[in-house]
Amino acid sequence: MIELKNVTKVYPNGTVALDGVNLRIRDGEFVFVVGASGAGKTTLMKLLLREETPTEGDIFVDEYDLGKLTEKKVPYYRRKLGVVFQDFRLFPNKTVFENVAFAMRVIGEPGKMIRRKVPTILNVVGLQDKVRSYPKELSGGEQQRVALARALANNPGIIIADEPTGNIDPKMSLEIMNLLIKIHNYGKTVIVVTHEKGLVDYFKQRVVTIRDGKIVEDKIGGMFSNAQV
Amino acid sequence: MRRYSATYFVGQSLKGLWKNGVMTFASILVLLSCLVVMGSFSALVVNINQNMENLGVVNKIVTFIDAEKTEEEISAIYQTVTSFPGVSSVEYISKPQALEEEKAKLAESGYANLVDSLNEENNPYRASFTITYTSDASLADLQYKLEQVEGIDRVKCYADLAETVNSVKNGIAFVLSWFMITLFVVSIFVIINTIKLAVYARRNEITVMRYIGATGSFITIPFIIEGIIIGLVASVGAFFVQKGMYLYIFRLFGTDYGIIRVIPFADLSTPLLAAFLVLGVVTGIVGSCISLRKYLKA
Repeated sequence: MIELKNVTKVYPNGTVALDGVNLRIRDGEFVFVVGASGAGKTTLMKLLLREETPTEGDIFVDEYDLGKLTEKKVPYYRRKLGVVFQDFRLFPNKTVFENVAFAMRVIGEPGKMIRRKVPTILNVVGLQDKVRSYPKELSGGEQQRVALARALANNPGIIIADEPTGNIDPKMSLEIMNLLIKIHNYGKTVIVVTHEKGLVDYFKQRVVTIRDGKIVEDKIGGMFSNAQV
Repeated sequence: MRRYSATYFVGQSLKGLWKNGVMTFASILVLLSCLVVMGSFSALVVNINQNMENLGVVNKIVTFIDAEKTEEEISAIYQTVTSFPGVSSVEYISKPQALEEEKAKLAESGYANLVDSLNEENNPYRASFTITYTSDASLADLQYKLEQVEGIDRVKCYADLAETVNSVKNGIAFVLSWFMITLFVVSIFVIINTIKLAVYARRNEITVMRYIGATGSFITIPFIIEGIIIGLVASVGAFFVQKGMYLYIFRLFGTDYGIIRVIPFADLSTPLLAAFLVLGVVTGIVGSCISLRKYLKA
């Protein structure tokens, strides 16, 4: 369960990025977060990743109160999340296998476990044949699938995807979204920040619309086209 | 508890050092120079101190006793001298002891034949007290009091020589200390820059590591190992440079100048290597930690 209670974020330069936001996302939900540039979507992501702390209000993610989380505990909190970036952020000098394995190595997973789990995860994202390939040998869609596999490596309960289809063509975008839906069907909570009107309308999931730091619309089965962006 | 692989950390560190080869080399060279300056200074001071100790000029006064004095009278003089303020210890050297010591010294220098003919009957040496005084003692007062003691024939004090040697030593220490401090500061700055370059080269990797739950120590350990490797290589390098320099001087000027004796390198090598390793590694770690401060935060 993710819960934001009256969350306000004001940056040191005075910019009010979020203003009194209340949001509750239940376990296993799929949520699109939409809004224009500067609306506050990125700040919302940063708060959920505990990269920033709220100026006012509380954020709870499962048993964690993010406002009170000590610096030492932040890495352990982040292991509950899987993050996918618009620009993939893969390691160019590592193979597909190594990119996924790295996420497991970071948390101290034993080598034997890594060798067993990585092929299974790559199978889920359909990259079982690309184990030895390097990112530059893959298409944009495939690279994003590697990023997704890496996000899934430590079996997090929540997947946060920041513009996951921003750097890939429409056909591949649909594939990535289908993959996210598949992951959601495994019981994961999925939050997708996006600008892709067509995808939001096509998948008819819960849509949270942010404008000027406020949630102006929150509809299950909502449409981007109807959202007050 | 899950354990991270040591080979992973060392591998990452070596890769980082290799990628920034020029800066790594510069860091090692500066730190090595700094350690060599420190080592040379230390070797010089140890040699000066040892020679001053051998010459008995360090906080010591030698008083010779009238040849006619009996054992009881000498014992009474001993009691008087011991009671003077500023006296830390008094060592009595009897006539036969003085002769034996001189014979041993000359034998060491290869001139044993000079005193071969001397024995108890024709022993020209006199009994003496070697008085060690505390650093805060008034030397003039003590010297005066000793001269007034009945039975003390002569007071020999190397205070002037000790003072001169000490001022020269302190002068050298002052100049070299500043030189050393400057080099240490420069070493730390160069190491900071080397590590910063390594961090910059891996910034994307570090960002991803943070998002996937890497702890601060997992991110920073490879960079700290880089600092340690720089420190270790510089220390070992400095030790061999120091050894070469010392042995060169040893060969060039010899080891014995009459009363002055150069300490063999073997006697200095273990403490010198230990000091180099500690200083080198600590400097490496300090440099790394300073450049990683912001990465220790979540």
